[in-house]
Amino acid sequence: MNTPDMRSLIDELAEDSAPVQPMRKGRGLAQALAAFVVTVAVVLVLLGARSGLMEGEFSAFFVVTNLLLLLLGIACTLAVVAMASPRVGAEHDGPRWAMVMAAVIPVAGVAAVAGHAGPVPYHWDEPLCVLFGLIAAMIAGSVQFRWLKRGAPVSPERAGLMLGTGAGALGTVAYGLSCPFNSVIHLGLWHAAPVIVAALVGRFVLARYMRW
Amino acid sequence: MVAPVTGDEATLARLMRAAQTGDKRAYAALLEEVARWLRRYFRRRIAPERIDDLVQDVLVSLHTKRATYDPARAFFPWLAAIARYRWLDHLRADYRGRTSELHEDSAAEESDEDVVIARVSLDRLFEQLAPAQAEVIELVRIEGCSIAEASERTGQSQSLVKVNIHRGLKKLSALVEKAN
Repeated sequence: MNTPDMRSLIDELAEDSAPVQPMRKGRGLAQALAAFVVTVAVVLVLLGARSGLMEGEFSAFFVVTNLLLLLLGIACTLAVVAMASPRVGAEHDGPRWAMVMAAVIPVAGVAAVAGHAGPVPYHWDEPLCVLFGLIAAMIAGSVQFRWLKRGAPVSPERAGLMLGTGAGALGTVAYGLSCPFNSVIHLGLWHAAPVIVAALVGRFVLARYMRW
Repeated sequence: MVAPVTGDEATLARLMRAAQTGDKRAYAALLEEVARWLRRYFRRRIAPERIDDLVQDVLVSLHTKRATYDPARAFFPWLAAIARYRWLDHLRADYRGRTSELHEDSAAEESDEDVVIARVSLDRLFEQLAPAQAEVIELVRIEGCSIAEASERTGQSQSLVKVNIHRGLKKLSALVEKAN
C-alpha cells in the first residue's frame, strides 16, 4: 500500500511527465559513428593524409596497430552506448578483451626499444602524435560523453574508463591517417600513449561527471 | 480512472512505453505499481524507516532518466539497475547509530515475476561479496549497528570492519548490472 506522501509524489511526477525520446542503442551508435567520421575528416582536411596512404605504402605494423585500436574503439563505443541504458544482466566484457589485444602495441614498442642496438631513433615531432591523438580523441569522444551524461550509467568509473579508452583509440586511429611514421617504436610508444592518457582521464576525471 | 494494473513484466513494459509518449495516466499507474514492487525489492536490505525515502528517490530517478529505458528491452532489469544504484547511494550514507529491527513485510506477495525478481534481486548482489564483507555491511549499513558492535559480533577488529565495509561497497558498485 502506498502512503499519502508516496501518492503525492507519484501525482507530481505524472503531472510533470512530458514525452521523451527513448535512448535507443542504434541512435547512439549512429551518433558515435558520425563523430568518428567527422574526426577523420577534420584530421585529413587540417593535417592532410600521410603520403602513400591511398597507394598502400605503409608498414604491416601500421596496419596491425590501427586495426587493433579500431577494434578497441568499437568495443568501447558499443559498451559506452549500452551503459547509458542500464539493466541487470548486461555484460560489458568486450572492451576487456580488446584492451588485452591492444596491449600488444605498447609491449611491442617497449620490446623494440629494449632490443634496439645503438641509440633509439627519435624525431622531434614524434611527441606531437600524443597531442594530436588526444585532440582527435576529444572530437571523437564528445558525442559519447554527451550520450552518457544524458543516460544513466550505474558504474560511472567503468563508464568513464570505457569512454576515455574508446575515444583515445578512435582519435589515435583518425590521427594515424596523417602520421608519417611507420616504425614499431614510434607506433608502439607514441600511438599507445594517447590511448593510455585518455583512459586515465576518463577513469579519474570524466567519471565524476557521470554520476547522477 | 485507470483500471488496476498487475505488476507483470508485459504490463509494466507497456505502461512504460506509454509513459515515454507522455501518457500521464499510464505513467501514474506505472509508478504506483513500481513503488509497490520496490518496497518488496528493498525488504530486509535497508532499514525499515528508510524504505520510503529510498523508494521515493528511485521514483524520482526513474522519472529523470525515463528516456534511458529502451522499449525493445525488458522493464524489470532496467528498473532493478536503477534501484540498485540508488540503494548503494543509501548504503553509503552514514546512518550509524540507528538501531532498527528489520521487519517482516507482510505486504510482500509472491507474484508471477518471481523468476525475474530473483534474477535481479539484491540478495544475488550480496552473494558476490566475501562473507566477512557482506556480514559487516548488513550489520552496520543496514541494521544500523556501530562499528564497535559489529566488531564484537563478528570477531573482526574495528579497523577490519571499516576496511571490509569500504571494500564491499566498492565491489557492489562495480556489480550493479550483474545478474548471477
